[in-house]
Amino acid sequence: MNDYDIIIVGAGPGGSMAAKTAAEKGLKTIFFERGRKPGEKNSSGCGLGPRMWREFPEMMKELTPEKCPSMRAGVYARNYFVNKDDKVSAMILATPTESVTYEPAKSFITMNCYRSEFDPWIVEFALNAGAELKTSTLIVDLIKDKGKVVGVQDEKGVKYYAPIVIGADGAISIVAKKAGLREKWFHDHITLVPQYDFHVPRENIDKIMGDEALGIWWGVNFPAAYQVFFGDGFHIGLGNWMHFWDKNPLYYVNRCIGIEHFQKLIKRLDAKPREVQAHLLPWMPYPVNTYTDNIMLIGDAGGFPCPLEAEGIYPAMVTANIAAEVAALAIADGDTSKETLKLYEERWQDSSVGIEFDAGPELWNIWSKLPFHQTNMQWFVPMISEILTGIFDWSEPHAIRVRQMISRVRHYLPQAMPTLIQDVLPLVSNILGDDLAKILDPKMLTSMVPLLMNLMPKPKKKRRAKKETPKEVEE
Amino acid sequence: MVKIELEGLSTHIAGTGDFITVDKEKCNRCGRCLIICIVNLWKKDEDGLAYLVDNYQEKCVECAACYQVCEAGAIDFKYPAGGTGVVFEQG
Repeated sequence: MNDYDIIIVGAGPGGSMAAKTAAEKGLKTIFFERGRKPGEKNSSGCGLGPRMWREFPEMMKELTPEKCPSMRAGVYARNYFVNKDDKVSAMILATPTESVTYEPAKSFITMNCYRSEFDPWIVEFALNAGAELKTSTLIVDLIKDKGKVVGVQDEKGVKYYAPIVIGADGAISIVAKKAGLREKWFHDHITLVPQYDFHVPRENIDKIMGDEALGIWWGVNFPAAYQVFFGDGFHIGLGNWMHFWDKNPLYYVNRCIGIEHFQKLIKRLDAKPREVQAHLLPWMPYPVNTYTDNIMLIGDAGGFPCPLEAEGIYPAMVTANIAAEVAALAIADGDTSKETLKLYEERWQDSSVGIEFDAGPELWNIWSKLPFHQTNMQWFVPMISEILTGIFDWSEPHAIRVRQMISRVRHYLPQAMPTLIQDVLPLVSNILGDDLAKILDPKMLTSMVPLLMNLMPKPKKKRRAKKETPKEVEE
Repeated sequence: MVKIELEGLSTHIAGTGDFITVDKEKCNRCGRCLIICIVNLWKKDEDGLAYLVDNYQEKCVECAACYQVCEAGAIDFKYPAGGTGVVFEQG
């Protein structure tokens, strides 16, 4: 009676997508959720990327404010640079630029909505496709027969059988553990993300933030924090790898909230703390051990969140689709061994998720050396503030200001250069590939020199008779 | 620095059962679990060994950081019984 073609443990966006695709392929599908309803156990992952609309248009066109009242488009993202004195020293406002190629990516960076609304919404697609969902059910073990996984068992001892089990059960995946794919994560492959939700009257967000529904607080005294606005509230949270934490992780979130600028924002918005949350988030240079005999891991369980910005839902949906398709092929062939399921790894490596991880180790490294590295942020924040905004200043004639800025940047260069060369350049080199060699080709550079020299402006005769020594900052 | 009062900032459904266990034989007194737990559910006894507060089931946000951070393998984390434990209304 409890015989299925495929079992999916977890009913988050990955689990639901896998269940939908599997059911559409004609597989007898069951999936499990430990909460009373999908989404009630999740915090974060709540920024939906525009690629979801491009790649799953039939589904995404049905995501409306009626179904997800917390939806708010992040059209603008404000980047706050917060110096060692906890003062905002510069800001830049980001929004999709000219080079973005499609809608809705031209219209927003992320669509934000609470998981408590999104996950129940996406689960309906799987149910409509014919998959069976069991809620309030915790899967505690895999059933093995002659060493081969043949199903799962819930906490009450009820057994469910299928030749394929998909682990969509998040960072601490019971499927991964019981299948021998992972006991624990390496400490620098997983982050802890503490976070608060604040309630804000909807009209205050509409009036004060408008479509500026994203904030990133690049701090010296706390790891980079994100602020995500929803219909009637916002999240403020941050993360770092396990070895970072030297005191209660909420200390660092409180430190960000405590800065004067943030406090003013709270007052203007009339924001009140509503919920405290924390979760583990895999942050990997490259996902490994994502399948074995009869088992595939998708989404967070497989370590797939984007290594630059930790986007989780889109990679979960992409890997879910691939896993369900491979499962259908394997079942049709009657061979669900790891030799066949290797196709899953090959396909995700070729997918947009795999492409993201081509530069995974370098992206991972940048985070470890900058936003997650408080010592390096001590030069990064003031240096970037000089470069981005230093010229907008009436304190001196602008020519003198430029010299002051250059002098200040030069002051930080000895600290910055090792990181720029060892950590930033490899990333640029990986992304540009052969193009970098072309750009930096010595012959080409040499041939450019006479051209550049001709373009150089000639020193201009000054109108002033008397030469003044410009004031510059002390080094 | 602000301090946000955590009381009342999370919702919990009773009936979780015991879902975190600690093996005192394995505990190496490193104290990482005390630091990592955002809701301060870990304490040290007079011998420096880690233990959980009695009512941890009513406060745990189920992040499993204590399990992940324990290099001695002393902490085991299972999830609460289906349909119980923390509920995030605005997760």
